[in-house]
Amino acid sequence: MEQMAPSPAVKQLLEEVKRNISWEGFPADKLEKALAEALSALDSVKLHFLENCVGCAACAPACPYYYVSEKYGPVEKAELARYMYRKEGTILGKLLGPLLNAKKPQSEKDLDEIVEAVYRCTNCGACYVSCPFGIDSGLIIKGILGSIATKTGRAPTLIAVFDVIERKKLFLEIPSFMYIWNEVMKKAEQALGKPLPFDKKGAEYFLLVNMADAMFYPDAVIGAMRALDRAGLDWTLPSKPLAFRPPIAAVIGLQKQAKEMIKILDEDISKYEPKNVVLLDGGFVYPWLRFQMPKALGRRPSYRVLHIVELFEKLIKEGKLKLRQTDDKVTWHDPCQLARRGGVTEEPNFVLSAASKGFRKLPHHGAESYCCGGGGGIGCMNMEMLEQMGKLLGVSSKDLVASDKELEFIKKTAEHWSIAVKRKIDDVKKSGAEIVVTACPVCMHSIAGGSQLYGLKIQVRHIAAYIGEHIE
Amino acid sequence: MGYLGGSVTDVYSFAVYYFFWVAIAVFAFGAVYRIAKMVLFWRRVVKAEPRNRGVGAWIIGLIRTFVDPIIFSIKTKPHDFLAGMVALHLVGVIPLIFLLAHHVAFFAYWFSPYKIIAETGLWIPLSVTTSTLTITSPIEVKFVDSIWGPLTVVLNGDVLAILAILGTAFKIGTKVMEQIHGLRHVRWSDYFSLGLLLFILLTGYMAARHSTGTVTMDVGTYRTVLGLHILGAEVLLMLLPFSKYWHIVFGYWYGKLHEWYDLRVQKGLV
Repeated sequence: MEQMAPSPAVKQLLEEVKRNISWEGFPADKLEKALAEALSALDSVKLHFLENCVGCAACAPACPYYYVSEKYGPVEKAELARYMYRKEGTILGKLLGPLLNAKKPQSEKDLDEIVEAVYRCTNCGACYVSCPFGIDSGLIIKGILGSIATKTGRAPTLIAVFDVIERKKLFLEIPSFMYIWNEVMKKAEQALGKPLPFDKKGAEYFLLVNMADAMFYPDAVIGAMRALDRAGLDWTLPSKPLAFRPPIAAVIGLQKQAKEMIKILDEDISKYEPKNVVLLDGGFVYPWLRFQMPKALGRRPSYRVLHIVELFEKLIKEGKLKLRQTDDKVTWHDPCQLARRGGVTEEPNFVLSAASKGFRKLPHHGAESYCCGGGGGIGCMNMEMLEQMGKLLGVSSKDLVASDKELEFIKKTAEHWSIAVKRKIDDVKKSGAEIVVTACPVCMHSIAGGSQLYGLKIQVRHIAAYIGEHIE
Repeated sequence: MGYLGGSVTDVYSFAVYYFFWVAIAVFAFGAVYRIAKMVLFWRRVVKAEPRNRGVGAWIIGLIRTFVDPIIFSIKTKPHDFLAGMVALHLVGVIPLIFLLAHHVAFFAYWFSPYKIIAETGLWIPLSVTTSTLTITSPIEVKFVDSIWGPLTVVLNGDVLAILAILGTAFKIGTKVMEQIHGLRHVRWSDYFSLGLLLFILLTGYMAARHSTGTVTMDVGTYRTVLGLHILGAEVLLMLLPFSKYWHIVFGYWYGKLHEWYDLRVQKGLV
């Protein structure tokens, strides 16, 4: 596809995003406001996470970024939020200050330290299950610190762009995005050999194909449609994307905006009156729609949310989906958000065992799965992604960074990712698998990139693409 | 005159007859404050429909929630596990505090149901050679006849105290090293907390070992050392709700049960 020229909408979008981003300076007023907002959102669970860490650092080896530097251990990163909480939220912290590590950021350097902590955390939850006290450091780092980093101006421009694109539904106005969408739908129609069942009301299954799904794994979109069709289900999908990768605002710690997006999405989905909503994305989209949505809406949605792998399991067990079993040396990588934060650990094993006699688990799987190191926005922080997105938006990659400082930060982040991903690649190597199947676009990108980097010849597939090809 | 009627004449009587109640009052205030804070911050939210994996998975999940971090620690930080978990917690401080014969007698004095530990023979003797509560008076030395049987060779106050002292000293050393490495989670208050624990252990050990057959401490010194031990323990009690030691009382239990509910019950992680 030819590179498109930037549309007026894109130009306006970039200007708007960049107005709120500044990687330099120390905006004390913004910091105070962000801190006050973060503290006002505390509940008893977050209070426990902030108050009950004993500093044993047992969580440290669980984090992929600990292997880059011990200063990136979860306890170290979350401590930055605890500094602020103790100073602002506890009596002893106010009285004893430095003795209790109670202090607020005082300088540009302190804010840089915060943003670095945020983008050396994938929010994979490995620290949560390895903490002897059940403290979810990831939630503190990506939640509180992420919010403070973004609201004081230190957000990766590209993710902030995605956020605005999603919340204002600008993807509908960006020609290259819609071109991709239409191409995927055209190919799906060819694969199915009949018109797609767009925009049906009251269907049993609503396949929520988001913009990012079509962009990152079109073969999975088509595979999922084949499975739904071959199983003879009453299903539908939206004729136009409803969201980019909802709620992408959460990736940069904008909880309020993320909840707003969830409400908009719920309204949009509800118009179709589906009984079940099926997701392809096994990244943060899954726990948000499956577990956070009721909290955001203040009620349970009128439909059930399930991941495509859960549906596959159900259909295979019911005999509605028959697979041609192969001998592929295939393994499953548990995306942290689908498995550790979403509880979907057994279903993929069942589905892949049905698809291949050569299926094997990774040495570290399920709750103990190694993170790929690319989540939490880190996967967006590399030159390749900037260039690709620049092409799609019709701008230069330089237009997608706010300053040289941000660019340097992106390069450093990519360098650190290349160390963090190694543990995962070694785990895959040990399994002897030739195909890694997973369900999160970031995991796919990270594992494929990591295997290339460390000379491991494997294919990385989305489960819907893989299963789509194994249907009898 | 102390609050309990005894005369306050030295550190020992001050700790036993006077400061005890101050420590209890501060602890009670702190505990109520910390728990009330948690209750006040509780917010009602609408929860998603839980994933149903069955009661068996919940039970296994509960066990794994508590055990997994221990296994992880053995695999990834064996030195920390041995010093921190084994020496300081599992065979050191916890049995020493709650099961040492002297402590059982002391706790039972204030809270009579605690006598059950003595009555069932679960209390741990001070040493491998005696289970009497004092070795000040001339006594006949004989091998301890306890429910713990041959285990008393290792399961006695002396060995446990030494393990706990080693564990605490290791943790202080770890904190120093972490600070040298520039790790930001080390707090100055950590040194106070661990230093206080070491002080209690050393004075307790010294008081318990005040005589080994020849007089090494006169009565006045003994009372001072034991008084300092009790006073230290009372300061620790006061510190519990306001420090990392809160995990013994509340943080650990709340945290693990919450994690179990969140990940295993609600989300169905198996």
